[in-house]
Amino acid sequence: MQKLLELVKQAHACGDYQPLVDLIPYARVLGVQCECYGEEIIFRLPANADNIGNPTIPAIHGGVIASFMELTALFQLTLQLPQPGLAKIIDFSLDYMRAGLDRDTFAICHISRQGRRVGNCSVLAWQERKSRPIAQARAHFLLDNGNPAEIDINPLKS
Amino acid sequence: MHDTEYYTARCSRFLNAQPHMRKLGIRLIKADRNKVTLVLPVQPQLISEVLDTYLHGGVLTTLVDAASSVSTLCALDQFELCPTLDLRIDHMRSPVQSQPLYVAAECYRVTRSVLFTRASVYQDDPARPLAYAIATFMRPEGGATDSAFRAMIEGVSDAETA
Repeated sequence: MQKLLELVKQAHACGDYQPLVDLIPYARVLGVQCECYGEEIIFRLPANADNIGNPTIPAIHGGVIASFMELTALFQLTLQLPQPGLAKIIDFSLDYMRAGLDRDTFAICHISRQGRRVGNCSVLAWQERKSRPIAQARAHFLLDNGNPAEIDINPLKS
Repeated sequence: MHDTEYYTARCSRFLNAQPHMRKLGIRLIKADRNKVTLVLPVQPQLISEVLDTYLHGGVLTTLVDAASSVSTLCALDQFELCPTLDLRIDHMRSPVQSQPLYVAAECYRVTRSVLFTRASVYQDDPARPLAYAIATFMRPEGGATDSAFRAMIEGVSDAETA
């Protein structure tokens, strides 16, 4: 039996975070990727025709940008704080600043406060320059501090 | 002011014009003046074999954003492509993955520049919402909406748009 904690440990050890990302089906549908640069983890959403919302510009669907940022926060929490299960989102608040064009999008999450039960996250998303973000978000997550309903991720190994 | 049938057709065309909505199979169930109901059907690509209680990581957010945006189509006489300014979601309970996800959204205030919407997400019972959301949208300044796209959403025949 392999637990989330072990999966995180494994990801940190071998530098391959994809098995963790693939835990969430929608992250796989969107095509979320994760790259680690020292202590900094940058999430990448490669340009994908299926993620378009506005076909006239064309621009990425606003919901896709929001979800990508929410997933960024969730994965950052999972990677940074050892937890037996995935954190649960409590609330999510997003400012859209520029249209997300049909190209690669990046996101980074900063955990501004980590309490015993709640994690406060802020997420920034950009395309060609970090200084010109396309959106910024704030989210609160309920941390999993080891209740009995631990997630068994064993089937991933099969 | 238009009738329900007109709004239904306009909103369906708008949803179908968006590749990501087609990818997720998000459909319009009902459209009225200022209000819409959308559904995200149960689908294999969103089902996790290992997480049985918490599946919709993020997909609920996409559904809410879509519904809020579609509700603006029912509040404006003419189609305007309004970008989202702000979106805020409160999650009250986790969805189950064996049931479709419904969202009812309402555009409750229209001003010269800004549209205000609210939405609730539910599964079996609208009285037991999973999440509430509020959003604001910016109206484009005169003529900013692509005219061919507008004609398509408004349902002007192909011959006229060509």
